[in-house]
This record gives sequence, structure tokens and C-alpha cells, in this order.
Amino acid sequence: MSPRLTAAERMTRLLAVIPWVVQQQGAPIDEIVARFDYPRSQLVEDLTGVVFFVGVHPFTPDSMIEVDISDDEVQISYADWFSRPLRLTGSEGARLLTAAHSLLGDQSWAGGDDEEAGPLLRALTKLSMALGEAAEGAVEVRLGDAGRETLVPLRSAVSRQEQVDIEYYTYGRDELTQRIVEPSRVFSDNGNWYLDAWCQRAGAQRVFRVDRIRSVRLTGDVVEQRPTDPAGTFTPGENDPRVVLRLHPDSAWVAEQYPTESAKTDEASYSTVSMAVSSVGWLERLMLRLGPSAEIVAIDAPLSPDLVSEAANRVLERYR
Amino acid sequence: MDKLERLLNLTAALLDTDRFLSAEELRRRIGGYPQAKASFRRTFERDKEDLRNMGIPLRVESIAGSDPPIDGYRILRSEYAGRDLRLEPDELAALHLATSIVRLDGGETGLHKLGGASSSVEAAEVGHVPFNDNLATLIAAAAERRAVGFSYGGVARQVEPWRLSFSRGHWYLAGWDRRRDDQRLYRTDRISGAVEPLDGAVQPLGTPTDPTRLKGWELGDERPVTVRVAVDEDQAAYLHHLLGEDAEPHDETGTPTGVVTFEVRNREGFRSFILTFLEHAEVLAPQQARDDIVDWLEALT
Repeated sequence: MSPRLTAAERMTRLLAVIPWVVQQQGAPIDEIVARFDYPRSQLVEDLTGVVFFVGVHPFTPDSMIEVDISDDEVQISYADWFSRPLRLTGSEGARLLTAAHSLLGDQSWAGGDDEEAGPLLRALTKLSMALGEAAEGAVEVRLGDAGRETLVPLRSAVSRQEQVDIEYYTYGRDELTQRIVEPSRVFSDNGNWYLDAWCQRAGAQRVFRVDRIRSVRLTGDVVEQRPTDPAGTFTPGENDPRVVLRLHPDSAWVAEQYPTESAKTDEASYSTVSMAVSSVGWLERLMLRLGPSAEIVAIDAPLSPDLVSEAANRVLERYR
Repeated sequence: MDKLERLLNLTAALLDTDRFLSAEELRRRIGGYPQAKASFRRTFERDKEDLRNMGIPLRVESIAGSDPPIDGYRILRSEYAGRDLRLEPDELAALHLATSIVRLDGGETGLHKLGGASSSVEAAEVGHVPFNDNLATLIAAAAERRAVGFSYGGVARQVEPWRLSFSRGHWYLAGWDRRRDDQRLYRTDRISGAVEPLDGAVQPLGTPTDPTRLKGWELGDERPVTVRVAVDEDQAAYLHHLLGEDAEPHDETGTPTGVVTFEVRNREGFRSFILTFLEHAEVLAPQQARDDIVDWLEALT
């Protein structure tokens, strides 16, 4: 949470804080701070320096909001205009629905246990009723393809800090390997589940696609303490060469799908993006797929400036 | 006067009134606006825009009897406040947990409006799901059974959305395409420009296609073509992993082979798929599909 809120953020929060405090007939400052992500000093400043002066014409005492803060307890009265919170916008409703469905779709979280998912299901029903007749089935989210039989033991290994023995299918190399790993985190990104772990076989921190893990066995051995660097796995390597692409509007999805380091769009909706290249094959695949709708503007050594035509010629060899 | 104070006073005045108020009346009632006419106008326009961006339903109507007509403004309380969801504390906490565990790109969730949630729930983020304004519009339209318009593949579409599904890194829209008079599935990241809300849906809600069962080369309107493809032996298992049960991949002994046959309804999707194998794959038949790949690649050399 950023320490300073924008005027719009303060306004939308106040429009929620005021009816809530009125309904509660007063509330401790700290609870308002926590519930509404409102930095304490700013909240006090806004209540005493702004809300206190809000009212309607002719701004006589009886036509103004009354705010009283004493013993860290806030009382608000005469705020009839703001007695109900502002309705949810379609966009906010869509986001809430999506977040709730994402969590429900993560079966390893709910543990298939209705009791744990109960409050979320009830909230979802109430939310759906408010958002529209067909809201209940309007969204579906799959955080990844991995099954409970893999996710559940991995999650418990993370929380118990236990080493696991996995069978892993390596992409592109078409081989199944067995390795002992020390899991630090299970997470989903862009529709796939990943395991962040120290791999004893590689002697390094690695990220594994959970749907390529064929089996998991908890070893009972506790992980060795070592500094983990979860950020290092998804941010591009500092030493990776960079490529700058100019993308036709049809290929704008590239900027959304891959981590870009800079992106700008011109008046004709062409965008120019800079990305780290972790493997030559990845860039070759991308460029051959994009074809004429993408162009390399700049590329770091050791990547070849003629990377696209070289790759195209290698594929064409098969057809000659 | 602080801008926040002026906006709150403006909102209070617009909610308090039982008739439409002109800009001039609002200027006199609220105070804090610049005196000069031009700069007042500019500030007032910005304030209206700010209120709308916050989702405050500002109504504009010509003031009765004004000639020439003067715009009047007010906010109806019934439109301002949402339906009270009457969420129990544990339900609110569950929604809070969901929004902290799953990160959606950009935008607020409006959880504050429901009363916020005590931060007793400490949860680490476990998932990230891409999200944008078009998705929000599509989901709201599906929920409210309204049609939308957008441009897809260079063609203007009118669609009645049924369901938005996120699967394997992509959002899919399933719904009824009015112009094609049939059910369709779209990848939302291929929509160009903004999605515009239209009128109410007419077709009954159908059963949405499950996007996980569809492959890129099946997402299309083209006449189906059966293609035969060969991949290097060491890529065979991966190819079969991708194709699932759709191909005829096994030889007489049941061993996966590197030569498969399947149906294509989207040539662009097929081309992308084949090219992900780089020089480790080749289209064998039909000749037309082979030529397409060769032409595409020769243009890049």
C-alpha cells in the first residue's frame, strides 16, 4: 500500500468509511485504517481537515457533517447524503467475481472441503445476485492444469519445510528425471502452477511447472536453510541479451503475455517493446509465429541481427 | 479549498437536491470554485469527469423551462447506493482472502464499499491472473445478459456473452455471435480496441464451449482441412501431450509416432503451432498447407 493516496482514492474510501462508521455508531481509528487501507495520519487529516467542512448550502452547523475523534475513537453524524455506500461499478463487481472464482477454482486451497469454501460460496451467491441474473456462471478461472494429487503434497511440503522427491518431465528434451528438491513456494502465473524450489541435482534455485511433475513423494527430511530468491526466477536475468521489437497492432498481445521492460505505443497503435531473451529458441519461435507483424529494431550480441531469416531458412531446409 | 473537499461538497449537493441544478447554482452553493467563468467551467468539467470515473451516477438533463436549454445535474440516491449485499463477516473475510491471494492486473475490487475487511487474514499471494477493462466489460455484460460489440480479426462482431473463462494463460469469451447466428469462442486478447456495451441479449443462454478442449487451430470459421504433420522422434511425446486424444498418433504396436493427422479450422493457429517446433516439424499434407508454411517463411528470409 502506497503511503499517499490520490484524491480519487481518498474520495472513494471516504464514501465507504463514512456510512460504515455511521452504521457502527462509531469505530476505533485503527480498525478503519485496517479495513479501508487508509494510512493513519492521512485518515485523521482527512476526517478533521476535510470531512469536517463538508455539507450543503447554507453550511450552517445543522447542514454539515459532524466528526468527532476522541480517545482514538471516531464518531460521525449528520452525514445523511452519505448514509449508504456507493454501489459497486461493473468493473469492481467483475474483479470481485473473478477473484472469488479463482480461489474456488484452486481446489488444493479449498481442499475439496465445503466447510472451508462455505463462506466464499455464500459470498459469491450474494454477490452474483447483485451483479445480474447470469452472474453465477459468467466467470470461470483455472489457475493451472495440475491436479490435487500433486498440488496438495507440494503445499504441505512448503508449509512443513520438507524435502520432496519428484519425477519431472523436461520440456523439449523429452525425458523424465528424478530429483530431490527443497520447495519454497507454490504459485500460479498466467494459467500455470509453478513450484519454486532449490534443486539438489542442479545445485541451484529452479522453477518447475507443476503440471509436468509426474509424482511427488515427501521424504520426511527437513530442508536445509538457505537464502531463497523467489524474485530471481521470474525476473529476466540481468545478463540476458535484450531485443527491441516493433509490433503491428495485431501483435499487441505479445506485450501483455511476456514480461516487457519498456513499452510504448505510437499514434498508429504500433508498439515498441524491449524484452529480455532467456533463450534463442524462444525468440525464434516467437518471431516466426509473428511473421510480418513484428520487426526487430535492435538486438544485443551474441544474438544474431539476422536471427529471423536464419531460423526461417533452417525450417525451410526441411521443405526443400 | 481542497479539491477533495470540493468534490465531497459537490456530491452532497447533487444528492441533496430534489431537482436538477445548473452549473451556476452549484458554483454558488458549493464555494471553492474559481470566480472567472472560463476557469470555473474547466474545473467543473474536470470534477464531473472525476465523479463519473469513481462510478458516481451523475444525471444530466435540461432544466425544465430554460430557454435556451441549460444543463442541470443531480444524483439519484436510488442509483447512487447499491443493493445492500448483507455480507456476514466471514463472507467478507473470504472475499478479502480471495482478492489478496489472487492478484488481478490493475483496478480496484470495490471491497471497501462492502465494508472493507479486517486485516486479520494474512495470506501470501499465490496466483496472478491477467485482467483489463475489456474483460470487466465482458463479464459485466455476461452477468447482466447484455450484448457487446468489438472488432476481432478485422471484423466487427456483435456478441451476447455467456461466459469468460481463463485457462492456460488466456481468457476466452464464449457466446452467441449475432451476425453469424451461431455460438462462437474468442480469445479476448485478440480483440482490438475497446469492447462497447450494446442492448439486451435476445438469445437464450446456451452451454458455453469449454476452451480447454479446444486448440488454437480449432478456433475458427474456416472449412475444415485434415493435415498430416511429422515431428522429430524426440519431440513425439511432447506433440502427443499437446494434441491429447485428437490425433491418430500411434503405430500398430501402440507406440507414439512422430507422424500425426488432425483437423484444422484456423490456418493461422495451425501455422503458429507448427512453427513452435522450429525445424523439428514439417507439414506433409495437403500440398496447400505445406505451401502456406513455405510462403510464410520465405517472406521472412
